[in-house]
Amino acid sequence: MSLASRVGLRLEPRVDNPRWMNWAVPVCSFIAALLVGSIVLLITSQNPISVYQRILERGFLDTGSLSGTFISATPLLFTGLCAAVAFKVGFFNIGGEGQFYVGAIFASGIALSLGADAQSWIAVGAMVLAGTVGGALWAFIPGILRAYFRTNEIITSLMLNYVAGIGATYLIFESDSFWRELGGTGAVFPKGKIIPLSAQWPSFDLGNLVVPFGLLLGAVVAIWLHVLQRRTRFGYEMRVVGGAPSTARYAGMRPARVIVAVAMLSGGLAGLGGAADVGNFRHVLDPKGLQQSGFGYAGIVVAALARLNPIAVVFVAIILGGITNAGYALQGPDFPAGLVGTLEGLILFCTLGGEVLVRYRIVNTRRQAVAS
Amino acid sequence: MTTVVDSKAVTAPAVAAFGVSKRFPGVIANDDVHFDVRVGEVHALLGENGAGKTTLSNILTGLYRPDSGHLELSGRRVSFESPRDAIDAGIGMVHQHFRLIPTFTVAENIALGAARDGERVLLNMASVESRIVELGEQFELSVDPRARIWQLSVGEQQRVEILKVLYRDARILIMDEPTAVLTPLEADALSQTLTSLTRQGRSVIFISHKLGEVISIADRITVLRQGRSIETIDAVGATRESLAAVMVGREVERVQRRGVGALPGAPIVLSVNDLGAEGDRGLPALRSVSIDVRGGEIVAVAGVAGNGQRELVEVLAGLRPRTSGRIEVDGETMDRADARHPIRMGVAYVPQDRLGTGLAPDLSIAENLVLKRYRRPPVARPPFLRSSVIDAEAASLMEQFDVRAPSSQTPTRRLSGGNVQKVLLAREMSGRPKVLVVSTPTQGLDIGAVATVHQLLLDAAAEGVGVLLVSEDLDEVLALADRVVVMYEGSVTGIVDAADATVASIGVLMGGGTAEDVA
Amino acid sequence: MSVNSNLFVIIFASAIFYGTPLVFAAVGELLAERSGVINLGVEGMMLLGAVSAAMVAANLDGPAAVVLPIALLAAMVAAGLGAAIHAFLVITLRVNQIISGLALTIFGGAAGLSSYLANVWGLGKQPAMNQFGRMDLFGLKKFPVLGPILFDQTLLTYLSWVLVVLVMVYLFRTRMGLHLRSVGESPQTADSVGISVTRYRYGHVIAGGMLAGVAGACFSLTIVPTWANGLTSGEGWIALALVIFGFWRPDLTLVGAYLFGALSSLSFTLQARGIDVPTALLDALPYVATIVVLVIVSNSRISKRLGSPAALGRPYEREER
Repeated sequence: MSLASRVGLRLEPRVDNPRWMNWAVPVCSFIAALLVGSIVLLITSQNPISVYQRILERGFLDTGSLSGTFISATPLLFTGLCAAVAFKVGFFNIGGEGQFYVGAIFASGIALSLGADAQSWIAVGAMVLAGTVGGALWAFIPGILRAYFRTNEIITSLMLNYVAGIGATYLIFESDSFWRELGGTGAVFPKGKIIPLSAQWPSFDLGNLVVPFGLLLGAVVAIWLHVLQRRTRFGYEMRVVGGAPSTARYAGMRPARVIVAVAMLSGGLAGLGGAADVGNFRHVLDPKGLQQSGFGYAGIVVAALARLNPIAVVFVAIILGGITNAGYALQGPDFPAGLVGTLEGLILFCTLGGEVLVRYRIVNTRRQAVAS
Repeated sequence: MTTVVDSKAVTAPAVAAFGVSKRFPGVIANDDVHFDVRVGEVHALLGENGAGKTTLSNILTGLYRPDSGHLELSGRRVSFESPRDAIDAGIGMVHQHFRLIPTFTVAENIALGAARDGERVLLNMASVESRIVELGEQFELSVDPRARIWQLSVGEQQRVEILKVLYRDARILIMDEPTAVLTPLEADALSQTLTSLTRQGRSVIFISHKLGEVISIADRITVLRQGRSIETIDAVGATRESLAAVMVGREVERVQRRGVGALPGAPIVLSVNDLGAEGDRGLPALRSVSIDVRGGEIVAVAGVAGNGQRELVEVLAGLRPRTSGRIEVDGETMDRADARHPIRMGVAYVPQDRLGTGLAPDLSIAENLVLKRYRRPPVARPPFLRSSVIDAEAASLMEQFDVRAPSSQTPTRRLSGGNVQKVLLAREMSGRPKVLVVSTPTQGLDIGAVATVHQLLLDAAAEGVGVLLVSEDLDEVLALADRVVVMYEGSVTGIVDAADATVASIGVLMGGGTAEDVA
Repeated sequence: MSVNSNLFVIIFASAIFYGTPLVFAAVGELLAERSGVINLGVEGMMLLGAVSAAMVAANLDGPAAVVLPIALLAAMVAAGLGAAIHAFLVITLRVNQIISGLALTIFGGAAGLSSYLANVWGLGKQPAMNQFGRMDLFGLKKFPVLGPILFDQTLLTYLSWVLVVLVMVYLFRTRMGLHLRSVGESPQTADSVGISVTRYRYGHVIAGGMLAGVAGACFSLTIVPTWANGLTSGEGWIALALVIFGFWRPDLTLVGAYLFGALSSLSFTLQARGIDVPTALLDALPYVATIVVLVIVSNSRISKRLGSPAALGRPYEREER
């Protein structure tokens, strides 16, 4: 007999969902994750309080740190939306990573080909479009394979991440491609061409706080997605297909088409993130940097923590962006790489476990039986 | 009567329940249940859906522990911690929905979980197989131990289930609605098997809600009502009427409508001609089926589950392609296998799997009510949906169909079975259909909800809708239908006027007999 | 040039060498999936195993015969603990298996605990002192063609063959194997005959995780003996695909593993021979091939008969009332 049943624990579906649990449970899960994290830190002889304190300081507490946090949050926001919208219909797109790369390739490509003379708003608009299209096309592959060829999208979309990474590396390191800087130091150390100034995305200063255009764009997109899911016919179809595929067929919907459309929407969001990454921050196609960042995978964490709600994705992206940003800023002997991913994983575990409390009541069957 | 002393064990009942109670949140499933089963007896537990039969059998098989009260086997008090304990004590359960693994062989299914001597780690299928043959001869239950379950007929699968418990030396067999999936002929065979079992000292607990079979099969009958054991009655001398009164707690009134029929000259709203279709495994499931339904008429499709009814309704709903034949709705030909097409032509469809196919369980009642009309005005103002319209329609439909729920925003998965069915019927009728196809609409509903659903179907017919009712419940079929179409192995074996039909005559057709056999 | 340095012999030999971790990881995942639990955390568990094995190998002084088994054990314990988290979340708490598995990969993965621990433990500066070297099995290394392919592998490869045989016997010839398959096909049925669904699921998810740990150790103790973050380069995901490719059977999974071992070794085998093929193309080949094979397998006729365990991915709860 399992431990749980020996102790007499049983999960019982909740009939009522008290509203306060919707925020109380995530907050408690977050605190629990920090507690577990401090055990990991203690074992590896780090001081948890000082680690957390430094994360708080370097991630959130002053406008300078917050500006950096916004930069880290921007790609996470897009990849978080990418995962949220796809997971919601049961399409487990974990190819946000690769779709992000392809978006970056497309966006930098169009920026470079428009050249320095293009008007800024045209260049930025073209990058937004190109990044979206690139990501959507890359996600089209697992989408169509799942919808019409019954092929597991988790594995196909993931394999395509590696293919996209190898492709981006090829463009900069293994070929004389259009993206590669062949002059100057580029002849010795392979690197990409810098996109023209006109194609570089603006940032807005609010006092000392710098808000990148990409973050604002992402927030607008999140609201748009929320409206799309809640208020439109397509959103209705998405919700039915996601929760009850055979009901969707029964109602005359076309689940396969909805899946492909959502796959492309999802990929487009990640691709747009790639465009924002090039346009707002890197200004160059940087395969190594992209692959080290792992924004696509972190986006899954963001989406899961936001419980697949696009609006919540905005806030979760900023929180995780802060931790990531602090991780960059603090990286060194007493703040080793990998700590951020570890904490993210723990937060995710605890949130997943905590969500059970929202869905179920834990009943002690043993005591119940004795009492009566 | 308390039997405690061991020396009395010989005469003690095989199983006895003393004041067994079991509560679930909001429900008392069993309330002070008493009964005793004698050795070599077929003892029926009779009750309506929701009377507590299933909970009681789960307690007997160790799946649940009673909140209070206890069980005795041969006079010895027992307390089961798990199904394993019940099995070890000699209790075996034959489930209504077979607990068999389709891809496994008969022998593998039977050996599963049973540890017999000399085969601890490695499987010895040869010895399992020979034991199965032996048991088959002893109890007249022949089945090929090497066959895979999916290759067997339903009747054979049930034999495997019975062999499975006999293989574990069960002295007490619990059978949950064992005849529900059988043809009348197979049911007769089962009844002989039961005789053979009891003659060899086994006891049988026979769970059923069917009055007739309980009287003919059981020796004694314990009636359950609302979780309580009301009375134990000798089958000899019991009548359907007397049992029904005890079971329901009042005189039974059933909705009756025989021979009302379509208005003379009412148009044929659904015409199915020479229809053929394949089942899920790619084998023919419908063979040249032809049925006409007139406006205002209720035509029932009777048959044992799995004889093509599901495929028939799926073809009508555009969810399954047909391999031959024509379908006309109100004179218009249905040409594509596409669910939108029948919806547009006025075919409403209430599927058997209400929450899995008919509704989106996580969506609200209001959203589910527009499931088939969301694409066009007034519900849609592309690309948006108009929530004001959706909510207003929900309010009026919920009132009209008496859907009981906290609000129109309640997710449908939170509704009771009866209310789920009302939501479905409300939505389907709100599309002003010409044809209403309903599949086993009252399965699993409590008696009050059954009456409501029956009334709604009669109302639909009264409005001139042609109703095609697929049901395995012959009482329901005979109560509601004007004509009865009987299906067997994908073919129509007979179409009879309900006024002339009897359970016996339909039963013959359900078993593959022809109209001549009936006569 | 002897026949044993023939290009194809070398490709076959390295197919087995590079396919070995895939065999461990895929057979482990197969056990979990046979019990009805998908574990997408293979990549994360492999990395946890790899880093633990590397740590032991780097810090424990002693003869290889002592250090390596301990390193392997450490890998199994670390990855098994990762699997236990997943098991607890999906079996006891009934969390979505997909998301929990992804969480495990993120937690343990290239940017997570494995690289954190590697940093803390200061790995990656030099190759592990103790490694699994090639073993001339039965002295048959020089045997033409088959010698280098079958008898000049590491102990881990030989162990993987033993594992495949054992798991085949276990699944199809033992009582527990029958019970395991029933739990994955129909937990209701298994429960009704007194088989503990929970116990079988916990046991096999954790056992599967331990095998993923061995797979990780294959990397850090032979293939990439100098630690690098994310050294498994996505092979955990390929292992997941191999389970589907092998129709949930260890023997077919082994064939698939060697196929992909061949593809992933092609790049440097060919380069070492001076054959000029674009590296990007060769690097992408295993991933593209995985997709192609998966599409073919998912649409083949056999997959209808030999499909996935029927209850795969679904939490089991006894019917309430």
